[in-house]
This record gives sequence, structure tokens and C-alpha cells, in this order.
Amino acid sequence: MQSTSPTQPLVCHDCDALLAAPQLQDGEKAICPRCVGVIVSRGRNSLQRTAAFAMASAVLFAVANSFPFLTMRAGFRESQMLLWESATGLGAGGYPALAAAVAIFIIAAPALLIGGLLYIVMPLLWGRRLPGTVALCRWVFRARRWDMTEVFLLSVLVSLMKLGSLAELTLGTSFWALVALIVCLTAAVASLHPRDLWARIEEARP
Amino acid sequence: MKQLPTESAADWGVALCHVCGLASPLRAGHCSRCDSRLHLRNRDSLQRTWAFTIASLLLYFPANMLPILRVESFYGTQSSTILTGVIQFWDEGDYPVAIIIFVASVVIPILKIIAIVWLCFAATKGWQPRQMTRLYRVTEFVGRWSMVDVFVVAILVGVVQLGSTISIHPGAGAVSFAAVVVLTMLAAMSFDPRLIWDAAAARAQQGGHQH
Ligand SMILES: [Zn+2]
Ligand SMILES: [Zn+2]
Repeated sequence: MQSTSPTQPLVCHDCDALLAAPQLQDGEKAICPRCVGVIVSRGRNSLQRTAAFAMASAVLFAVANSFPFLTMRAGFRESQMLLWESATGLGAGGYPALAAAVAIFIIAAPALLIGGLLYIVMPLLWGRRLPGTVALCRWVFRARRWDMTEVFLLSVLVSLMKLGSLAELTLGTSFWALVALIVCLTAAVASLHPRDLWARIEEARP
Repeated sequence: MKQLPTESAADWGVALCHVCGLASPLRAGHCSRCDSRLHLRNRDSLQRTWAFTIASLLLYFPANMLPILRVESFYGTQSSTILTGVIQFWDEGDYPVAIIIFVASVVIPILKIIAIVWLCFAATKGWQPRQMTRLYRVTEFVGRWSMVDVFVVAILVGVVQLGSTISIHPGAGAVSFAAVVVLTMLAAMSFDPRLIWDAAAARAQQGGHQH
């Protein structure tokens, strides 16, 4: 593998400007002179932060998927919904493709994101690289776009307003875990600076 | 290497790896760091973007006209589309919710489609590359919020299905709607903003020759 020397040119992702790589201090970012977007950034303790937030996210994800999400009380009846039942309900209602899409957006994509981050970043803290790290990076950055848990959260609030007149709804443990999960996962991704990550992957022993 | 803000890496035969962000000579074929195939631009960027955008525009109409939800209770069956849902919230005085749903479900998708069409023209004509690149960045991240109503249907169906006096069923509008959101996301992902800069550079060069 060829190492990235400081004289390696830098290319802007959005406008293809060819630039000399700037020397960045921790926490600094460089702005592209051509399209004024962030072209490269460096974090502070980037990997440690990502690892810590990803671990917290994993715990919260487990909680969010094991406890009731919403409880509905109408008259004497009480029913509880788990997070994944918002997807399976659509399947039972005759729309399996829609159910699969919802399951991807609120369960599979965040799961892949959290699992992928842990698999890539944890060994790197000890200078090691697990097999498949490079291939997994591709999937993790893709999963980021399809994780829509924050949109789902807004939908919960809208649903509460919508059913408010028909039944009494209570938010369960899973809901609060999901709120915390969104915060932690956003922080985990925000701490991850691609250039730092790839530099550490290059240095790591397989 | 001199800092030349107006020079494209492509002019030097330098390709940016779309996976790891390493700049490599195009003739290497594969990225030396992560072994991904190197391309100067996204493959068939404009064709793919147009295809996804036209498909999403066609589905935008059934998404807004077909019912997304059917509620069965002892008062009878009631179907609601996205717009009737908005009107219902408005009539009940829940103005913020009505506005949020209207913006997320009706305004954002159509604005996103218009923005992508505009970007496609900009990439052909080389219009205002800096502003267009900014438009592209906004377009890329705002579309996901249109999924709000699809998730509302998912939650209502999920929570109410467990044996109560009312039952709620998903409608075909919800499927069309989810498809619109996914297709506009794919359109934005296929679009390559560097094409706008290429076209702008070509136009500037042509202008230079004429004078
Ligand atoms: Zn740029
Ligand atoms: Zn690469």
C-alpha cells in the first residue's frame, strides 16, 4: 500500500478543484476556494470519540428494540407496540415492500451503521485492522444516507396528535432510547473524519 | 504542485476515489488504497439522474391523490390522502402540525424535483457553478424529511392493529409516496456536481476563443 504523504494533492469532491494538501491542526477544516465547501477536516481524538459514541449507540439500539415503543389505551383495552411492529404492521396490511422499506430506514440502516463503525474503529484503537474493513467502509458510508430515525421521531409526534382524540397514548422506554440513540449516532458520525480514518486504516496491521 | 483554484483534477488525469477520497492518476485504474475502480465522473450521471427524476415526478401524482390511510370504525370507513390529513389538522387548529406535514409531503418533494431538473440543465449549460453546488448540497439532505407521512402511516397501523374498535389500513398512496422519496434520493446520489464545473469551464474557454 502506498502511504499518503503530505505533498499528495487534494481534490474537491464537489467541484474537482486540484489543490495542494494544507497542513491542518486538530479540529481544523479546509474550505475549497472554488466551491466554498468543506474539502477536508481533522478531528480531535476522532477515533476514540467515534468508538465511545458507537458503543453507547449499540446499547441504546438494543434497548430501543426490546422495550415497548408506544402504549395505547382505548376504553379497557391496552395495546403495546414494539419499534419493529411499525414495519410489520404494513406487511400484515398487504404492503410487504413498504414494510421492508420502513424496516431498512429505521432498523437495518442504523444497525449496519453502528455495527460497521464498531467493527472498523474498535480494532483501529489498538492499531489493528480486521478483515473486510475496507469493503465495510463503503457500506457504512452508504448506510448513513438511509438511516432515517430522526424523521421517524417527528412522525411519532405527528401520530400522537393524530390519535390524541381517539385514544390515550404513552411513550415507552424504547422511544426515549431512540431519542438518545439519534443523538449518540449523530455524534459518532460527526466525530468521524474520513481522512483521519483512512490514515489510521493504512497504518494498521491486518 | 502550485495552488490553482480554477484547475480541475480531471485536466491532469487525476481521479478522486469515491470511497476513500484519495487522489490517484486515472491510468492506475484502481485506487491504490482501497482498490475501488477509478472514474473521473459518476458513470452515466445525467442519464441516471433524469431517469430517477422523471419516475419520481410521475409517481408524485398518485402519491398525492391516492389514499395513504383507511380508517374503519363503527362510524364507517374513511380514507384520507395527504392533503385531507393536512386539512384535518388545520381545521382542528393544529396549525404547526398542518404546516409541517404540508411542507414535508407536498412542498419539499416538488421543490426537490424542480431543483434536480435545474441542476441537470446547469450541468449541461454551465450556469453559476458555485450557487448550483450549494443548491445540490441542500437538495441532497432535505429530501429525507418527506418520509414523515409514510412513517405516520406505519406507526398508526402498528399501534392500532392490536384488536381495538377501530382498525387502520395502509393505502396505495403511501407506497407511491415512499417511492417518490427513494427515487429523488437516488436521483440526487446519481447527480455529479463536478459536471456543472466542467460545463462552466468549457463555456469560459469558448468565450475566451471568441474574443
Ligand atoms: Zn470544491
Ligand atoms: Zn480509494
